[in-house]
This record gives sequence, C-alpha cells and structure tokens, in this order.
Amino acid sequence: MDIQNGNSILQVEGLNVSYKSFKAVCDVSFDVKAGEIFGLLGPNGAGKTSTLSAIEGLLKPQSGSIFISGFDVKKKPLHARANLGVQLQSTSFQPELTVSEIIKLYAGIYCVPLTSEKLESILKDIKLEESAGKRFGELSGGQKQRVSLVLATIHDPVLVLLDEPTTGLDPQSRRQLWERMEKMREKGHGVLLTTHSMEEAEAVCDRIAIMDHGRVLTVDTPQTIIERHRNDPEVISVSRKGKITLEDVFIGLTGRNVRA
Amino acid sequence: METMVPKTSAALSSLLRADFITQWRNRRSTVLILLVPVIILISWKGAIDKLGATFALSTCITLGLMAIGLMGYSNAIARDRDKGIFQRLRVTPVPTWSIMVSRLIVQFAMTFLVTAIVFFAGYYIDKITLQPAGYIVTFFTAIVGGALYLGLGQMIVGLVKNAETVNSTTRLVYFVFIMVGMFGELGVLGEQFKEAVHWSPYGTVKHILAASMQPSTWNNDATMALLITIAYATIFGLLGIKRFKWSTQ
Repeated sequence: MDIQNGNSILQVEGLNVSYKSFKAVCDVSFDVKAGEIFGLLGPNGAGKTSTLSAIEGLLKPQSGSIFISGFDVKKKPLHARANLGVQLQSTSFQPELTVSEIIKLYAGIYCVPLTSEKLESILKDIKLEESAGKRFGELSGGQKQRVSLVLATIHDPVLVLLDEPTTGLDPQSRRQLWERMEKMREKGHGVLLTTHSMEEAEAVCDRIAIMDHGRVLTVDTPQTIIERHRNDPEVISVSRKGKITLEDVFIGLTGRNVRA
Repeated sequence: METMVPKTSAALSSLLRADFITQWRNRRSTVLILLVPVIILISWKGAIDKLGATFALSTCITLGLMAIGLMGYSNAIARDRDKGIFQRLRVTPVPTWSIMVSRLIVQFAMTFLVTAIVFFAGYYIDKITLQPAGYIVTFFTAIVGGALYLGLGQMIVGLVKNAETVNSTTRLVYFVFIMVGMFGELGVLGEQFKEAVHWSPYGTVKHILAASMQPSTWNNDATMALLITIAYATIFGLLGIKRFKWSTQ
C-alpha cells in the first residue's frame, strides 16, 4: 500500500465494544490520515481507551471493522500490528532490564537492525545516554515516557497510537513530546492520541473527535468545532472568560458532571 | 513506509534473551529456589543409608521443580500481567504463544539447573553416584515433572487474577505439597493416605525421578506414574491456558 499524506491509514467503521452487558463503544467510525495528528477526546469512561484497545487488537469488538494501512485487524492481526506503534496508558517494561536492553528487545522483535552507533543516537535523541545502563524501574516518569515513545516508533510505523502520553509530565517534557509528535507528522506518520488536555488538542491536533458514552459526538478541526458550537446555549452557559474555548465546547457537549 | 511482519524466530530469540537476563537479575530468588533442595540434602547427610540415595535425590529434585513452577514461574507471570508488561508485548507483531514459550524455555533451563545442582550436591555431600544412563534419563523425567509443576503454576495464574493472591496461593500449595507429600509418603498419615500421595502430583513426579535414576529397575508402576504425570501436566496446563487472562483489567 502506498502511503502518502492525506491517505487514510486507519479506518474504523461501525465499531462496537461491550463488556458483558455494558456497551463501552457504540457504532464508532472515524479515520486517521497519513501526516495527521488526530485527537480522541472524552471524559473518563467515554470509550477512548476501549476504542484504542480494539485498534491495538487487545480487545475483540462485537462488530465493526478496523483497517490499519489496509490490513484488517481481525484477519491479518500481525500485519496490522507491524504497521502500528503503541504507547499504552500504563507503560511498563521488565523493571530488571536496562534502557539499552529494552531498546534491543523491541528492535529485535521488529527485526530492526541496531548497531551500537544507532543505539547511541537513539539514547542521545531521548536524552538518556547517561542512563543507558539504568534499569527501567529506576527511571523517572518522564524518562519512562520517553523510552516508551521511542519504542513505539522504533520500527518507523505508519500509525502511532498514544494513550494519554502527557499525563503526569512537566511542561518541558510535554512540549518536547509535542515536538516529537509534530516531527512524526512531518515524516508522514499518522498519530492517534487520546488526551484530557484541551490545550494539547488545540496545540497539536489537526482534527479531533469528541466521544462520550461510547459514541462520537463530533469530528473536525478544533477551530471548526469551536465555530460550529459557539452559539449552543450549553456551551455559552459554561463559558468562563467570555471567549469560547475548546474546553467550553467539550463541557457543553459532554456535560458538567464529574465522571467516576 | 509499510512495515513487514518480522520473523517469529527473530522475535523469539529477542524475547529469550530478555527473559534470561530477567532471570539472571532475579538471581537472589533463583538461589533461594536452588538452595532448598541442597539444604535438605545436607540435613539428611547422616540418614542417606537409611533413606536410600534415590529417595533423597528424587525428593530434593521434586521440591526444586515444585519451587520453580509454583514460586518462580507463576509469581513472575502474575507480576508481569499486573504491571501490563504482557499487554505491551501483545501490541507488537509477535504471536502471543511465543511470549509464553520464551518464558517456559527459561523455566526448563532452570529445571536442568536444579537437577544438575542436586546431583552435584549429592555427590559432594553424600558421595552419591549414579550410572551415566541414570543421569541422562533423570534429566528427561525432570523435564516431564517440571512441566507438571509449570502447568500447576499456569493453572493458578489462570484461575487467580490478583498477583498478591497468586503469591499466597502458590506458597500455600507449596507448603501443603511438602508436608502432606513427605509425611504421607512415609505412612505417617495412614496407608490410604500413602496410596493417595503415591498417585498425587507429588508422588508421581518423585516416583518417575527415583525410577529413572536406576533405569534397569523401571517397571509398569513407573510407566503408569509417567503417564499420570503427563496427564496432570496436560490437564493443568490446558486449564491454565484456557482460563488465563493477559490483563488484570
């Protein structure tokens, strides 16, 4: 499959995911294009992580189709996963392994040739050259996130999934991560990220989908979504500074109630 | 930009390297697992003539195999599942069976190690020697016995989700197996109990190990014990695989 900017590299169609009688994802459809950062927004329990888990192949959807780079996740799971890079919400690698050993492990899994020069340059790129021999369990939260992100892209995947990647990061680390995402976009990767940060969504996402109760409420560019809902009474009622922001639209669409 | 599916053999060799390093880094717990049979051999030093060399060696290897399957394997699997390490590996293009096969290969290497250490300790502490065929056959039956306890460990992590509960359950099962197995085998708990222990996972493994140390004495009883050991390993393993969840969520 020829991947060019603007081509759909992820197609989700009519996705339904249930946990026993609870419907976590209801008839969700969207696509992510090459060279695009797509944000999936929603309050806790909206179905973002379930949607991502179905794309990753960790959950079996009840119905619907998912294609990654043209490969059906159900019929060709290994081909689909080979074209996918993932940073999970709770990042964990064997705590006994060092940073270098973890990078070697994942490079080996993806059959990526890894010379000592390349390993050094990867470590330098994530500013962990001094911590190469440190065990993963000894790293700080930000350092773990950087390792996790580099492993998600070590095989140069067509699509990168980032599940709340900036949670718990300081502003410097968050900015650095945004820059990395933008670099991925420049290289033609598609990025699908979930986030609770409206600032992040506005700053880096080309398009966003707002989800609630397992359904996609709206999909478009952040600016278009703001314009579209600017005059909704629910949005105006939650506006705090007179100026309508993406957060106002988000709360207007999903409600004020705090989710468990 | 499309990425091809990597070769399973290459992925498996990377997983194996990482799993062996992890096992090495956890060498303190490995040493403890290996130490139990050696301590028992030392404590039985004066009683080897009464107990018999094959009784002592087979008991010690059985306890070592039990510790590997129940204390080592199942707790490591429960911890990695709890921490999400398996979920991270499952989103890569490696077949999920290869993740477990890699773990099992490391545990079978541990089985070889515990058997070899018991033989060394038996020789240096009690001057026990076997015929070469005895050593070779015992290594094979240790693999079969090891598979039984790995299957039992797999069944426990399949049935119990919480890592701490897995830890306490395996300790309890280990303790019960040692106490009931050893006392039952000696007839302290009655003849019926002795017979039940003989065909239990403890008794059959011990039986095939003892018989394989003297291959010339292998009889129908030993063959029956071998078949039952394989049956136990298959049932425990299949049940453990069927009920196993890769994530605790």
